[in-house]
Amino acid sequence: MPIRFKALSYIYNKDMPYAHKALDSVDLDIREGIITAIIGETGSGKSTLVEHLNALLLPSEGSLEVLDYNIVAGQKQKFLKPLRKDVGLVFQFSEYQLFEETVIKDVAFGPMNFGLSQQDALKQAAAALKLVKIDESLFNVSPLELSGGQKRRVAIAGIIACDPRIIVLDEPTAGLDPKGAREIIDLFVSLNRQLSKTIIIVSHDNEMVYNYCDETVVLSHGKVVYHGPTMELFDDKKKLKEFDMLEPQIVSFRNELIEKGFKLSKDARTLKVIAREIAGQVKR
Amino acid sequence: MNNLVFGKYIPIDSFMHRLDPRAKLIGLFLMIAAVFVPKSWWVFLVIGLMLALALLMAKIGIKMIVQSFKPMVMMMIFLMVINALTVKTGDVLFTVGPVQVYSDAVFNTLFVIVRLLLMISITTLLTATTNPLDLTLGIEWILKPLEVIHFPTHEVAMMVSIALRFIPTIIEETIRIMNAQKSRGVDFENGRLAEKISAILSLIVPLFSVAFERAYELADAMEARGYVPGAKRSRYHVLKFRFVDYLFILICVGALSFSILSRFYL
Repeated sequence: MPIRFKALSYIYNKDMPYAHKALDSVDLDIREGIITAIIGETGSGKSTLVEHLNALLLPSEGSLEVLDYNIVAGQKQKFLKPLRKDVGLVFQFSEYQLFEETVIKDVAFGPMNFGLSQQDALKQAAAALKLVKIDESLFNVSPLELSGGQKRRVAIAGIIACDPRIIVLDEPTAGLDPKGAREIIDLFVSLNRQLSKTIIIVSHDNEMVYNYCDETVVLSHGKVVYHGPTMELFDDKKKLKEFDMLEPQIVSFRNELIEKGFKLSKDARTLKVIAREIAGQVKR
Repeated sequence: MNNLVFGKYIPIDSFMHRLDPRAKLIGLFLMIAAVFVPKSWWVFLVIGLMLALALLMAKIGIKMIVQSFKPMVMMMIFLMVINALTVKTGDVLFTVGPVQVYSDAVFNTLFVIVRLLLMISITTLLTATTNPLDLTLGIEWILKPLEVIHFPTHEVAMMVSIALRFIPTIIEETIRIMNAQKSRGVDFENGRLAEKISAILSLIVPLFSVAFERAYELADAMEARGYVPGAKRSRYHVLKFRFVDYLFILICVGALSFSILSRFYL
């Protein structure tokens, strides 16, 4: 298990009259090599949870294991840099973090902070930019001249260039047009499938979670209320109602077909497969 | 960044929170005057007791007040040292190396420090119990007489309230950008000078671009809702003095009178 939360709590503004417990004794194991989604309504503690993964926040109570690092409440951390290199965190609206004069310099900023020489950092930056499909002609322009989707991809490249083992993305598709969102999704799926990175995504987009994430964690009021295979969650009408979540379109479609008497296999989860399976069953 | 206490509003409900912001502002000025006039410890005792009572009624813990003193510690030490070196009246209390410390030096410094602490506490009490927007309404009201000489009170109040409104937003953005850069290996606390400069740059450049973007958005939103600078506006939220507000001002006037009279009779 690369990530294990043990009875971890986090309290904002501890000792103030308006102290707020954002995470309440969370026990959670996240598996290596898969895509895990973290969902839950606004204020349920999703962002607080992921900010623990690279020790931006330190637990108020309990502890957390990430890869070979052990973070315990109340202890000083000595391995911040290596941990932050191994766990890359892409923030919401990450395009705002760009600041260098050129795209490639901005992407090389992270690797250089983690101790690479300028030459190696630029090499890694170029590779990362290629991966996020930023054309070489844009390497030397100012990041401020790019479109929103491009900026977001450059920001993600800035994390990929650090070569982390775990990549955490907080709302990576928020505010992007469908094409831009699609490119981001394709990107992290290929990071997972081809480079076998562990991916953790915080999202509000149930359709995206259903289509691409292997496992799902549901948070509510700072507690984990569900953790398991994504399919099982979205097939369970009772749970969806309990968590006040909408059924993904493809699930509704599938269920309606089954109600009408079509026979669908358990793996028929995409339009393509469903179409193929029902093609033979349609009376002409 | 989150530990900034001085000037922070505590959003709870209490007697002090419900007072009219104008009454609290007038009270603040009266009380600060009352702290600066006297030469007697007795007045400080009385004002201190009044303050304690007010803090109790504001449901603000002593912890927060003590925290608000923290930024002043260095200044107080500085004051202590300068006074110890320069004031040479009274009796010699003790000697530190070649320096003889006189009683007046110690008492004068303590007196000034207590005066400062009282002033900070009073100000903290005002800002902790008054919503920044209400505070600006109060300031606007107090500046009203200046309109006679064409002072743009409303515009100034609007600017102040926008500035206040955006402090938490900018702090939030700062924390977010800092976190993003920390995730890219920036160390804001340690490192050589060159590293520190690059760390600060990685924070300031994005912060500026965000701030400008916010400013443009806000200007558009205000225009879209028909805001015209200088135009006459009605108010949704009208401030009204109640009996307790008058009473509060009266008590503060009482405190000031006491401290002025103390200079003649104590």
